Amino acid sequence: MAEELLRKTYHVNGRDFENAGETATEIKQMLKDIGIDSSVIHRTVVIAFEAEMNVVMYASEATLTFVLTDEEIKLEISDQGPGIQDIEMALTEGFSTASDEMREMGFGFGMGLPNIRKNSDDFNIVSKVGVGTTVSAMVRLDSNA
Amino acid sequence: MPEQTHGFRIDEQKCEGHLACMRACPTQAIRVKDGKARLLPELCIDCGSCLLACPSGAIQATTRSFAEIDRFKYKVAVPSPVLFGQFPLGVSPAHIVVGLRRLGFDAVWDFTIELSLVNRAVLDYVENWNGPYPLISVSCPVIVRLVQVMYPGMTDQLIRIQTPRELAGRELKRKYSQELGIDPGQIAAIYITPCQAKTISILKPAEGAKSNLDGALGISDVYNDIVALTRSLDKEETENLLGSYVRSAEMLRWATSQGQGRVLGRHRYMSVTGLSNIIQVFDDIEKGKLRNIEYLECDACWGGCIGGNLSVDNIYVTLSKIQRLLSELPESDPTLEADVERRYPNEDFSLKGQVGPRIAGKTNGNLKERVERIKAEETVMSTLPDLNCGLCGAPTCKTFAKDVASGIARKEECVFFSEERLKQLRKTYLHGKKPQTQDDA
Repeated sequence: MAEELLRKTYHVNGRDFENAGETATEIKQMLKDIGIDSSVIHRTVVIAFEAEMNVVMYASEATLTFVLTDEEIKLEISDQGPGIQDIEMALTEGFSTASDEMREMGFGFGMGLPNIRKNSDDFNIVSKVGVGTTVSAMVRLDSNA
Repeated sequence: MPEQTHGFRIDEQKCEGHLACMRACPTQAIRVKDGKARLLPELCIDCGSCLLACPSGAIQATTRSFAEIDRFKYKVAVPSPVLFGQFPLGVSPAHIVVGLRRLGFDAVWDFTIELSLVNRAVLDYVENWNGPYPLISVSCPVIVRLVQVMYPGMTDQLIRIQTPRELAGRELKRKYSQELGIDPGQIAAIYITPCQAKTISILKPAEGAKSNLDGALGISDVYNDIVALTRSLDKEETENLLGSYVRSAEMLRWATSQGQGRVLGRHRYMSVTGLSNIIQVFDDIEKGKLRNIEYLECDACWGGCIGGNLSVDNIYVTLSKIQRLLSELPESDPTLEADVERRYPNEDFSLKGQVGPRIAGKTNGNLKERVERIKAEETVMSTLPDLNCGLCGAPTCKTFAKDVASGIARKEECVFFSEERLKQLRKTYLHGKKPQTQDDA
């Protein structure tokens, strides 16, 4: 059983475009300070950032939990939001339900969830329409993908 | 860990511990202990922010002196394009070249051609790159070091193409050793530099290989002499030279930001200047943003190399002069194009070594110990006022917490925790004078 070394929870506000990405930045700095392998940091930060952006774009709020064990990094983002109707579709690259307004701001290219999955060693998504979505992603510390 | 050499030194005698350098440093590489600034060399990226900030003039750039260059048989100046925009109107590039010769250089190298070659090599590299974008220019040594220290995961994105000044050094040694029949080792290639960062990139290249240049003189080191010398030149002497230096607009444009824009514009190109802006952009890249940008031209100095700290004139005046010179120059020159065509297929432009991350003490201990250190740091931080007053000798409370957790500082160095510390600071900064308090009045 992997030993848990560090656990952090962050609150992410929906619709807060101005501060979007702050949690990812904080996690990045912490992992750098710990001296985690840079490719692992990169993947973790992309996951955190995309997850944060999804919250900012669609949900009202969310909790991001970060856990570091001696073997892996686990991120879990649990939001209170509209939920996803068709998960299969949402995982397709380029598919997006973003509004024109969001696209104009440079978001909503339909790469969010696909990118999270692509950068994870283990990925899981559970969603209930009208309730919210929980995305779990894991990055192994020794993976050199 | 090999010792890091840097582009400047702090003069202990002159340093009055003003904290200005410490606050200006973008990588938190300076601490002030016992009223004297100290450098953490592994964090220094040679940007020179401290040098500009110091009110005591205690920080000086390392450049070469003329005396050191004298041991070479044949001395060639390689002036940065910035040099040509520094002088009063009426001092043309040709005058400047004559001035440099009078200063003791046997020749002055025009690296317009190397610049064109590099632009072409960069273009090819960007088009054939399969790794993550954006690629990042390596012309500014500060940017290279910034990536090594603060963005270790992005070192692969530093474009592996040599800089024009390095190619110039190689080519001029080849040419003159052949023409004059002397050993390349007896030829000095001296860069006339707008900043101390380029000096250090010559003395200690980030890629670990040996530089093709032998040193640098700051523009400010040669400026006065050139101005004085050009006054005494006769007209004929310089008119013969006009046109033979700075053959195309491409050369002068390199000195400014967006210098490569003309060449790379059709790719997704972006130019960023100023360290704080660049740090913002790099943070975005790390988050996976800006994937659509293919090439980033970055200059640590605002406005590009014309803003270098060894240049003389202010950047706007320089820019205006460069634009004036540009208006008189052809976009390209047929002889130059022919030279580029001839040399391009036969030369190797790749960087000679690997630019890897510079890991600064972060990997001491195993993962568990490192995490414990972070936790300890957070505990210390939670007790600090978060005012960033700097009196502990660290730039921010956060840096101080880090220093305490890693054992290079003691918590009692914070004035909030120790009367002793305050007394000691009074002694250092008030030189024994008793501060007037209300009780005294």
